[in-house]
Amino acid sequence: MNILGKTTLAFFLAAGTALAAPEVGQPAPAFTLTDSNGQAHNLSDFKGKFVVLEWLNHGCPFVMKHYDSGNMQKLQKEYTGKDVVWLSVVSSAPGKQGHMSPAETNQAKEEKGSAATAILIDGDGTVGRLYGARVTPELYIIDPEGALIYAGAIDNKKSVDPTDVEGATNYVKQALDEAMAGQPVSTPKTEPYGCSVKYN
Amino acid sequence: MSEASSLPAGTLCPRATKSGASYGRRFLAALLVSFFLLPFSSPAQLYQGQKLVEATLLADTTAIAPGQTFRLGLLLRMAPGWHTYWENPGDSGLATEFEPQLPPGFAAGPLTWPLPQRIIEPGDIQVYAYKGEVLLVRTITTPADLDTAEISIPAKASWLVCEAICIPGKADLQLTLPVSASTQPANTELFAKFTAQFPSAGQPPFTISWNATPTGWNLGLRDTSAARQADFFPFADDKHPVGHTAPRDLVAGAADLAIPVAGSPPVRGIVVLENGDRRGWVVASAAGTPAAKDTPAAAKTGLWTYLLFGLIGGFILNLMPCVLPVISLKIFGFMRQAGDSRANILKHGLAFTAGIFLWFLGLAAVIIALKSAGSEVTWAFQFQNPWFNYVIGAVIFVFALNLFGVFEIVLPGRATQGLAQAGGHGGLAGSFAQGILATLLATPCTAPFLGTALGFAFSQTSVVIAAMFAAIAAGMAFPYLLLSAQPGWMQYLPKPGAWMERLKQFMGFPLLATLLWLLYVIGQQRGTEAVIWAAASYLCLGLAAWLYGAFLGPVSSGRARTLATLAIVFSLLLGLGYFTGDLFARSAASKSQKAAAIPTDGIPWVPYSEAELQRVLAAGQPVFLDFTADWCITCKFNLRTAIDTKAVREAFTRLGIVPMLADWTNSNPEITRKLAQFDRVGVPFYLFYAPGKADDPVILPELLTEQILLRAIGAQP
Repeated sequence: MNILGKTTLAFFLAAGTALAAPEVGQPAPAFTLTDSNGQAHNLSDFKGKFVVLEWLNHGCPFVMKHYDSGNMQKLQKEYTGKDVVWLSVVSSAPGKQGHMSPAETNQAKEEKGSAATAILIDGDGTVGRLYGARVTPELYIIDPEGALIYAGAIDNKKSVDPTDVEGATNYVKQALDEAMAGQPVSTPKTEPYGCSVKYN
Repeated sequence: MSEASSLPAGTLCPRATKSGASYGRRFLAALLVSFFLLPFSSPAQLYQGQKLVEATLLADTTAIAPGQTFRLGLLLRMAPGWHTYWENPGDSGLATEFEPQLPPGFAAGPLTWPLPQRIIEPGDIQVYAYKGEVLLVRTITTPADLDTAEISIPAKASWLVCEAICIPGKADLQLTLPVSASTQPANTELFAKFTAQFPSAGQPPFTISWNATPTGWNLGLRDTSAARQADFFPFADDKHPVGHTAPRDLVAGAADLAIPVAGSPPVRGIVVLENGDRRGWVVASAAGTPAAKDTPAAAKTGLWTYLLFGLIGGFILNLMPCVLPVISLKIFGFMRQAGDSRANILKHGLAFTAGIFLWFLGLAAVIIALKSAGSEVTWAFQFQNPWFNYVIGAVIFVFALNLFGVFEIVLPGRATQGLAQAGGHGGLAGSFAQGILATLLATPCTAPFLGTALGFAFSQTSVVIAAMFAAIAAGMAFPYLLLSAQPGWMQYLPKPGAWMERLKQFMGFPLLATLLWLLYVIGQQRGTEAVIWAAASYLCLGLAAWLYGAFLGPVSSGRARTLATLAIVFSLLLGLGYFTGDLFARSAASKSQKAAAIPTDGIPWVPYSEAELQRVLAAGQPVFLDFTADWCITCKFNLRTAIDTKAVREAFTRLGIVPMLADWTNSNPEITRKLAQFDRVGVPFYLFYAPGKADDPVILPELLTEQILLRAIGAQP
């Protein structure tokens, strides 16, 4: 009977772990991460503001598409200018593509002209897994009440071609504009496209 | 996916020219020239000096015939370990693009993709991709009149190739073919190989059902004949990201695949069945594309069958010894209370029926609640869990013993009394309460059936469970309702008698037949020994049930009760603790070991393990490595016709070849890894390690002949 009990327990546990990713409309999971300047950020620090989480890996061709075209920086500038907190998260494990030391992170931020509020270093992938982030770039938007209101792709053109940025529907811009105007987000969940997050 | 070595480097373009040769030297020369003039027809994507992807444009014909169709293929050959993506790349990646720029009058069909592989990266990131090589195909329709001697078709291809990192690649390709009314097939092997991997758009040769669940869809597959494993790959849907489906082993031709997608929107994808080779069918959920139209009907048939059986089962409950005598008593009771007013008798009948319905729907609600407490996912795959099958088998066996009269189920007295009092009041409320009471009183006879129905109900959706129990209630209430409408028909009621007891005993046999089926499934899952241990455990349960029935009745003395209780505890401990907990639990492991250790044929097989293989190879001995499984018919056929033959046995002995057997009947991660090393996902698979070539084994064809094998091992020139 003991073994039967264990089997049943294992089943329930297995079913539980499959449901890890947060649902749009639910409270965004809390986390604390240190940024490239050594400052710790807790998600609850930003209560009352819109927060964008952007999964980042500068070695990934899909990320390059949006940084080389200036698309990502433009978004960051526009919305941080409207008091939105923009957090880029690097979940690449040490030794894997995209992982950077704090100094390298700041250097890359400067070179790319990133206007993110902070770049958070998530080397053990805890926060990436907490949010179920699978690719770079993958974007999440959290409203001032702390609820997740968007999860998915940056836009609807699945490609690595920077010329595709023009004419694409930018889901992040659309969701932020709608939410900041007090409207419901029309497309709250999309299939993200990109490179896999380089977890350990 | 095939290994790269099946197509030696550089054969592709020469093959195109060779087929042109049948056209005469003129064309050969022309094609050779065009080949050398167009270095981009087979460009390679280079990364740090390594050739990552080689792209080639090719056709299945030697020439273009006016007004015909031909197939144009993009062949991508990836460096070992690297993969390109399917039309839905999965969690990450990007679908390969292949766009021919056709001359005016030509038309290209949609891109056809072979079945992808599931590749899992750290963080449970799953992608649908191709390793080794892949051929993506478009069917090209040519115009009726063509007045040029040859046609050049340029094409653009772009892809993302990933290993630990991802590199985008693209190529501008061109294929030039002569125009001619008579054509010969070209690149036949390649096209045949990948055409076999295209999913079929036709009706699959198995039954599918779609059930919406709180987490997405449950895709039920039934009657899949010989296949071993089932998998599902969804087509991409931007607005409704579909999660990963875990591949499932098929048990007795059945499996349930969970497709996680929020809100259960329409889903389309490919069901892949694996049995050595892989075959795929395009399927769609209800409210999907026209291809899906047949599936709701199939699901409906299943539901109607359940309801019909529920109705019949409910009706049969009335023939049980505890129930039949009650019917006429009840109807007479209605008649007395209603004072012979036909309308009033019917009202009482309806109230009584409502009581029966309440009881059964209450039961259904309890089951649905229990089912939701465990997750949907857990219960959907229960029959793949040998433990579940064992427990259901035990319940069925005990119920069958109950029907045979080995022991009686006694209701707690207080509950019965309470309901009897409630039913004692007259009026419609009394009849309603009596409806509940009658079903409760009938429990000793109905429990075996309800219990069995409960067990199976767990695998169904809430709607089906509720409908099934409503059908049972309707079946049981039917005679009361009919007779209260037409009291005169009571004369047709069969007279209660000894036949009822016989009927009850007889009903035990269908239950035992169900048990046989469960034992068969257990045998498939865990082998013959598991069946014996499960049966031994059931024997102990049976002994306990008999002791309970014989010595724990109300008339037994205190001492007899104590002894019997001790004996029951002992036999339960023996059955559940020893046979089930110990022997049954270990049966799976013992099966795989024994299967490998006992030679089933004349070849002295050595069981495969990577350590043993490396040890033998390090000793400089040649090895013939056979990847096989009990359920693989091709493997068995090859064994009988090509491997376990006198000539091969002699050659093995003469040349000192160590025959090694990797038995994949039960899942074995070491063997799966070894197969993956050669980009294989199934058996049969044969490797020959020649002496001193430990790093470079020869891969033998899946359809082996004695001659091929003898040549490969060097026993024949």
